[in-house]
Amino acid sequence: MNLLDVILDLLQSGLGNLASYLAAHVLLCLVPAFFIAGALTALVPKEAVTRYLGRKAPKFISYPASAIGGFVLAVCSCTIMPLFAGIYKKGAGLGPAITFLFVGPAINILALAYTGVAIGMDIAVARVVLSIAFGIGIGLIMALLFRRDDAARDAAGPDAFAASARVPRASWLLLGLLVALLVAGTLQIGLFTNTYAQVTLPVGGTDALQATLALLVPFDAARGEEGVTVQGLLLIVLLIAIGGAAWRGLNHVDEGLNRWTTVTLVLVGATLLVAALRLTPAAGSLTLAFPGKFFAVGLAMAGAWLLARRSFEPEEVQEWLWETWRFVKQIFPLLIVGVFAVGVIRPLIRPEWIQAVAGSNTVLGNIVGVLFGVFMYFPTLVEVPIARLFLDLGMHRGPLLAYLMADPELSLQSILIIASVIGRRKAWVYVGWVALFSTLAGLLYGAWVDGVNAWLIGAGLLAGLALLVLALNWLAARTARAFVAPKVAAPETGSAETNEL
Amino acid sequence: MTLNIKILGSGCANCARLEKNAKAAVEQLGVEATFVKTGDFEEYARYNILATPGLVVNDKLVAAGRVPAVSQIVTLLANELAAE
Repeated sequence: MNLLDVILDLLQSGLGNLASYLAAHVLLCLVPAFFIAGALTALVPKEAVTRYLGRKAPKFISYPASAIGGFVLAVCSCTIMPLFAGIYKKGAGLGPAITFLFVGPAINILALAYTGVAIGMDIAVARVVLSIAFGIGIGLIMALLFRRDDAARDAAGPDAFAASARVPRASWLLLGLLVALLVAGTLQIGLFTNTYAQVTLPVGGTDALQATLALLVPFDAARGEEGVTVQGLLLIVLLIAIGGAAWRGLNHVDEGLNRWTTVTLVLVGATLLVAALRLTPAAGSLTLAFPGKFFAVGLAMAGAWLLARRSFEPEEVQEWLWETWRFVKQIFPLLIVGVFAVGVIRPLIRPEWIQAVAGSNTVLGNIVGVLFGVFMYFPTLVEVPIARLFLDLGMHRGPLLAYLMADPELSLQSILIIASVIGRRKAWVYVGWVALFSTLAGLLYGAWVDGVNAWLIGAGLLAGLALLVLALNWLAARTARAFVAPKVAAPETGSAETNEL
Repeated sequence: MTLNIKILGSGCANCARLEKNAKAAVEQLGVEATFVKTGDFEEYARYNILATPGLVVNDKLVAAGRVPAVSQIVTLLANELAAE
């Protein structure tokens, strides 16, 4: 085999990977997820969440609020650092700030939906549950380790977290419809996957087109590769058309809606509807099957369209579309390049290497997963196709989760930024705990995949966390007393403050 | 008199958009203004903002976490000038 053949092979592998990631099921998840991310940023007031993160919020509110608040607040990586700094310096303190920092990337709607569709809902759910549990755990540990710093922290100055706001009812409704759209398009249950109607069009040549596509981009189903279908080609054409229309319709949508905006939105709707169809090419005909999700996706989109027109000001819709388009522009090109690159390197990695290191759920395998996540930096969402590659090559799901937990949390770049906010010593301690907990998460999840009783694992995890919380509260109470006693004459005041902790 | 306008937040798309809107507003009003752009977390903390971008006029925070439209910034700047 000469060099040219090798290069051609690699390019074909890259294209094949790209095609399978632009396939119907991925679009049905990613497109709604981008619109949800835009709506969360534009239509949900940040104050609705930040008021729970103030200095005066009790621990049992501030920790869960920081864990779940990431869903609303941290869609954009450029807001996560100011918020983190704000929670740390002016708000609830180091612990909740760390929790926020840890959980945010894991429950980002884009990463969550994408992981669920490309790798499996089990990993996506495990990532969320374990991130929330461990995020709160790491926050509590950091608060305990550096409790003196926290107590000495500047407590004066105006409260940036005092402002409060409610999420308007229309925003709730719109988010609900968009989530329904995402669920209807991706959930694999009979209601959505059964075919309810079928039409055969007398279009010739589609079978020949399919054969040509298979020749152009050969694929090996045994290795988890997917080829390009006629439907896939149609979707790619639609996506390119959306790109062109959006350039004129959405790039300046903050200055006003125009005709191209409508064109873009109609194209987006058409793409989702085509993605929900099932196309079967045959000699001299093309069969369209309409599964339940086709109708559900159509209904949800119609609902969202009507709601956006009736219950929102044009400025709000503009803001929503602008934020959505901004996410697409920021993330999608990198994702395409990343997916292509993953496809190119796929034939170069021998499955035996991966299997030897992380083929089973060992401590070493999980540590390797975490280390790879720390030292390799991938743009948002690209970690998902990479994880998929490892899975296809034989990585165990345990170490895979360890990698997925560590990668968005820790990169050398983010460690440096964190260090600039909380100081180098705290940052490295945080990194150590994240590495430890990610490894632990992989081990626990891997044990579950291997068949260890889920209740046993869950009970162990809960008992461990409960023990941690108790120990921390006990230590915090002791520290508070030591701090308060010399300053305050009346012991009652001291104990009151202790209780507040 | 000259307005001192500070944009809190650098690098993100909304920060660039805020700067553009603020410059357009200054042009509409036909006043003189100096522009500073900063990405310093200490500055964020000083003005108590939780989310970028933030708009500071004459050392006073007037908007944070959102991008006001050009017309809104014109009003904000006019108020600031009237208060002088």
